[in-house]
Amino acid sequence: MSSKAIEKISPLNQPLVEVKDLVMRFPLHKDWIRAVDKVSFHIDRGEVLSLVGESGSGKTTIGRLLLRILEPYRGTMSVANHDITHIRGKNLVSYRRMAQMIFQDPFASLNPVKTVESHLLFPVKKHRGGHIQQINAVVDELLTRVGLSPQETRRKYPHELSGGQRQRLAIARALAVEPAFLVADEPISMLDVSIRAGVLKLMNELKREFQLSFLYITHDLASARYFGDRIMVLYAGKVMESAMSRELVRNPWHPYTKLLLAATPGGYHVESLPEKVNEPPDLSESRRGCPFAPRCLYSTRECFDNMPETQEISPGHFIACYHPQIPSES
Amino acid sequence: MPKEQAVLDVEDVSIAYESSQGSVKAVTDVFLKLMPGGILGLVGESGSGKSTLASGIMHLLKGSAHLVSGHIRVNGQDVYAMDPKLLRKFRWDRMSMVFQSAMTVLNPVMTIEEQMADIFLAHRPRMSKGEIQDRSRSLLNMVHIADKHAKSYPHELSGGMKQRIVIAMALALEPDLVIMDEPTTALDVVVQRSILDQIKALQKERRFSVLFISHDFSLVAEIASTVAVMYAGKIVEVSESQGLTQNDLHHHPYTVGLMRAIPRLTHEDVEIEGIAGNPPNLVELPSGCAYHPRCPLATTICENISPELQAVQRRLIACHYFDPKMRGEFSHVF
Repeated sequence: MSSKAIEKISPLNQPLVEVKDLVMRFPLHKDWIRAVDKVSFHIDRGEVLSLVGESGSGKTTIGRLLLRILEPYRGTMSVANHDITHIRGKNLVSYRRMAQMIFQDPFASLNPVKTVESHLLFPVKKHRGGHIQQINAVVDELLTRVGLSPQETRRKYPHELSGGQRQRLAIARALAVEPAFLVADEPISMLDVSIRAGVLKLMNELKREFQLSFLYITHDLASARYFGDRIMVLYAGKVMESAMSRELVRNPWHPYTKLLLAATPGGYHVESLPEKVNEPPDLSESRRGCPFAPRCLYSTRECFDNMPETQEISPGHFIACYHPQIPSES
Repeated sequence: MPKEQAVLDVEDVSIAYESSQGSVKAVTDVFLKLMPGGILGLVGESGSGKSTLASGIMHLLKGSAHLVSGHIRVNGQDVYAMDPKLLRKFRWDRMSMVFQSAMTVLNPVMTIEEQMADIFLAHRPRMSKGEIQDRSRSLLNMVHIADKHAKSYPHELSGGMKQRIVIAMALALEPDLVIMDEPTTALDVVVQRSILDQIKALQKERRFSVLFISHDFSLVAEIASTVAVMYAGKIVEVSESQGLTQNDLHHHPYTVGLMRAIPRLTHEDVEIEGIAGNPPNLVELPSGCAYHPRCPLATTICENISPELQAVQRRLIACHYFDPKMRGEFSHVF
């Protein structure tokens, strides 16, 4: 199914991606750890959802689940009203035409012995077919669209490109199948500071131009706010808080979001970090209660015993916490 | 009263690598001065020469890299004129370094305690076993690591704990100068912040001087009192960190570009602007000012003559645009 078919099924500003009670576990020392624990969310068509969390919070796992590089343990995922939770074979192949991924490391995600054009010729040929002239024209168009000059770059190998150019090529490759949904996993964190903005802006333009939906995975709240329409904060595989980007950064209610904001450089500086201890969360299957409770300044017995339900604290602003803290900024 | 001596004095230093395409300068004519108790930030992109400069200061240049010219003095002593035996004692005793990847710095087959003891065995041969143990424990406590972890192996600890241990090791002999090369880059924001807070608190208490190297502009502006910006092996600006993140025009165009390139959390206008082009290739550096192909202000003079650092208000900036004698050349922007 191409994105044009999706247009009929999923109009703009309607949910394209719907995830319900997603659970993923991995084996560790004859036991299991919960990387993703009952996560539910949706992404509208043409919307960017930023997924923010520390390393080990499960954000990359969610991205991989959505592209079905991994298969979930529990829960359901649907894209454009198609259940993709356990699809296989042909269905999975055709799903990959709808959803693509931009990886963190453009040095590892490109094939070092293939030229720039062969990275694009293959998917374009397979997906759109047609005469070689037509295919070549599409490749040129893709390269131009991501800010690479076809004449200069077509015959180059990845090692001849700079980090920013490689990531642009990776984006062009993702666009080659005309997807409706992209997962971008820390796409700028390996790039030099001066060229990050260019790649972010490019993704922003593409989103507008093709009404693409994005799951933008990052640990950086500032870029999450810049690119994301909404931000979802993840801790130890659980959603702590989600809201429109500006609202979440200005009026955070969850103690963990407040901690993240206080720690971000260039943010609202505080004297000491609002946490009790600095230790990694318990990911074991047998854990109970809120995973943030041991670090939280406001945790009570209740927090250690039960995981709080998600509640809507103001329109479109959700948190999972027994002790929401009134935002100090108003 | 004698004038206070600089802890670190980098004078006209150039460092080059030998490659198949000839000698490549990674650091060119750098001057830096760090006074006792100061924190100097050094900002630059990858390939700007900041880590090469750090290794150069430690006299730890690897492979074909070598000091081409200039002097590096730590506590007034020329690091490159020192007897190798003395230098081995001097290093870590008076100047130490925190490397970027704590994961690779620590030896995976030795416990933390054994690795810390190594420092004292090498530099304080008279210390008894008991003293070494006490001192190691108190160093670990200083960075908030419980005694029980002294017997751990590196793989049993989290990234943040390992980085704290590496910092404790750098401070073990109470050096005057600590070079920190991207000490928190691989860590999560919350861990990064808590380590920075600890560095600041320790620095306040013990008054050692820090050369803090990072690619993250806002981070450096928060921890350092003075910030030097490096591009293509040259220092292009030295400025007080106060007010540095405020966007104003009295900065080197590269600094302005960097400030515009990152989205900021608290700024209402979230429009960002990347710097055109790509970071330079050191093998074929552009003529004149190395930044001119990417600079929005560049004019003919920039292509031909490399600008020197000069005082502009309370900053040092290497840019023809700020030179009153060059005003005529920039009629297109004024």
